[in-house]
Amino acid sequence: MKALIRYKFAHCFRVALRSAVLAILLPLLFSTFAHTEFIPPTDLSHAEIMRLGERMYRQGILPSGKVMETFIRGDVAVDSSAFSCSSCHLRAGLGSFEGGVVTPPTNGNKLYKPYRRPPSFGDVADRAGRFIYAKTVVERPPYTRETLATAMRFGTDPTGQVFNDVMPRYPLTDRDMSILISYLEALSSEPSPGASSKQFKFATIITDDVSQEDRQALLLPLQTFIAQKNQQMGMFNDFIKFGYSPTIDMQFAFRSASLDIWELKGPPESWPAQLSAYYNANPVFAVLGGISNSDWRPIHEFCEAQRLPCLFPITDFPVVSESDWYTYYFNKGYTQEGEAVARYLNRQETISTETPVLQIVQDSQVGKALAAGFRKVWKECERQEVTTLTLSSQQLLDQTAMDKLLTKHKPEVLILWTDAELLPNLPALIAKLPAKGMVFVSSGYLGKKTAAIAESVRERVYITYPYRLTPYVGSKVGGFDAKVPILPSSKDFGNRRITSRSIAMLQQTTLQGLNLIYDNLYRDHLLDIMSMQMDVTVLDYERFSFGPGQRYVSKGCYIIQLGPGLDPPLLPLSDWVMH
Amino acid sequence: MRIPFPRISLFFVILLFVCILPVRPTHAADIKYKRSIEKYNIPDVVLINQDGKKVRLQSLLNSDIPVIVDFIYGTCTTICPVLSAGYVNLQRKLDADNQKVRLISITIDPENDSPKVMKEYLKRYRAKPGWDFLTGSRADIDTVMRAFNAYIPDKMSHYPLNMIRMPKNGNWVRLFGLMSTKEFLNEYQMATAK
Ligand code: HEC
Repeated sequence: MKALIRYKFAHCFRVALRSAVLAILLPLLFSTFAHTEFIPPTDLSHAEIMRLGERMYRQGILPSGKVMETFIRGDVAVDSSAFSCSSCHLRAGLGSFEGGVVTPPTNGNKLYKPYRRPPSFGDVADRAGRFIYAKTVVERPPYTRETLATAMRFGTDPTGQVFNDVMPRYPLTDRDMSILISYLEALSSEPSPGASSKQFKFATIITDDVSQEDRQALLLPLQTFIAQKNQQMGMFNDFIKFGYSPTIDMQFAFRSASLDIWELKGPPESWPAQLSAYYNANPVFAVLGGISNSDWRPIHEFCEAQRLPCLFPITDFPVVSESDWYTYYFNKGYTQEGEAVARYLNRQETISTETPVLQIVQDSQVGKALAAGFRKVWKECERQEVTTLTLSSQQLLDQTAMDKLLTKHKPEVLILWTDAELLPNLPALIAKLPAKGMVFVSSGYLGKKTAAIAESVRERVYITYPYRLTPYVGSKVGGFDAKVPILPSSKDFGNRRITSRSIAMLQQTTLQGLNLIYDNLYRDHLLDIMSMQMDVTVLDYERFSFGPGQRYVSKGCYIIQLGPGLDPPLLPLSDWVMH
Repeated sequence: MRIPFPRISLFFVILLFVCILPVRPTHAADIKYKRSIEKYNIPDVVLINQDGKKVRLQSLLNSDIPVIVDFIYGTCTTICPVLSAGYVNLQRKLDADNQKVRLISITIDPENDSPKVMKEYLKRYRAKPGWDFLTGSRADIDTVMRAFNAYIPDKMSHYPLNMIRMPKNGNWVRLFGLMSTKEFLNEYQMATAK
């Protein structure tokens, strides 16, 4: 104890005082726990312990199924249904840095070693300043299972230093505690396949419905990226040869990289087997981009099952899920356009519950995705379902039948989820609507021809547009070359932006994750780091924004109208993001 | 930096500190929050609450009961749980009497925080009526943050802040940092005093 107090003294008076007080109090508190060794329950299989531990860690649910109780800020009892360990220490358990609070790692690897927090900005800033309010423990010896239990119950490290108020205190039973500790020991303990201190292995996925041109548009930026990484690695090796010693950041920023191309052929049902074969032959750390014209779901599900990060594939059919973890998408594809129309209509003062709305959906995958997005948000807004008709492309072009439909339903709002074949008939259809009737269409589905909407009806046609509208100041190729603002134009309709989007995902988001991963080569950690990024402004979208669990980084979609002329200006009627 | 220290004086130092212990909060780093009294001009913006309803911020804040404002977001780690735990606790201490305080959380992630996300957040914390979570256009949210001298350019670098509006004169108590529950309750009571 004397030695302990002396150790504290080297730091400051007040800590010493607290240790002294703790020296008296803690043994009393611990008397009930003193003889347990937190041995994992012998009546449970290892797999079961891991499952129960993971549930405690991620969802705050006890092995009994009850919600974990916790004390935060000293004495506030809060259910762990509100937040769990992973809310702060993140899924991989390597901790986080947000809002000036450092949350340290909580995986066995790190806990059972001495810890010294690198001096941070906050340690020297003014004491009343931003980064001081939740200073963490600077240095501590390794934990044991016993001292870990104490840490979680009472908020003290092995030497008795008291944690700040951000870390809650968890009054768990010995048995539950031993399950949680076993989980922490297993958490991020083995590096994920496909990465080493010297190399990252990546793959990209291309399905056989993709044109040669689109394929090249994807591979060009990917291969450039890999070549850059390898070239930098070469330069770094020379640097070492000349006798320079690298900083910590540098040691981890340089790794060589490889890229496999996983070509998927034939029907989507056969993709999982093909993916497994590729993966087993050469496991990769992450899938970098990819492209398909079909539903991405089979690939999404494969990555989810393998716990394999899949970073920003080019697809119009992402899986829209609030809980899936492993695939990052640019946005929700067509679903997002459908959602935008629902949000826009919901905020129009002129639209009441009585307003007749008719949704006509072309019987296709695109039409269905658009309609699904609309339906979901319309329901969230607690609106009554709208009349929806699904028609084949022939039916859509049958002018008499369409006239009849419109006469029958008399819609004031007509949503047309169709392709551009219908455009020549648009003025005739609009003529059948009431004077103020609005028509909604998808620029994604109409493609290039969107600009060909007849000038006479442009004021009646509302178009979804999920891309940037404000001028972009920056580089098209991911460097620092451009200073001249890049303006959006009607020529962008139908452009899939494969290369520019892939450059943005590589240079503006993925690279940051790879550089900050250091020697913590866990896939979940890569996703955690990427989710804690600051917002970025990119060429094709107004903004990418992140956050734990957020997987669709571009959140917006404008509703626009076309101005006059052959190269009409794009006129926004809504904000980028609507609520 | 090891300071040799005679054991006997250590004893006295401890004795001395034990005497003054009750008035010092036992924080790890022992850093107290920063408190100041401010006047804010609340901009006339319309925001959207967790039910998707439009609300005029000015009319929400100009109230006869104390109003507390903080800035959080739906997927935030670390600080928001602590701030929101403070709200939860205050609601409990005041016995669900939502006539005693109006709690307002304003999102700093307006792109992701839709009414649906905000409603789920409040549900997770078992918020009682009287705690509203507001979103809006990015421009409006920026205006509000600026009005409170709390402009946060990026949500990842935000900081813990509570502002309590005193009904008696419309001034605000600005509280920077993480308070213990006792301190928070105390601040609330001081703000309520006539
Ligand atoms: C609200 C955020 C938050 C939550 C929730 C949280 N922690 Fe922490 N945790 C922290 C912070 C911040 C620290 C650092 C405290 C300090 O150093 O003063 C910490 C410290 C720790 C430490 C000590 C690490 C060390 O190196 O000394 C362990 C172990 C730990 N937490 C485990 C857990 C577990 C297990 C859970 C869930 C049962 C959990 N935490 C929930 C924020 C949190």
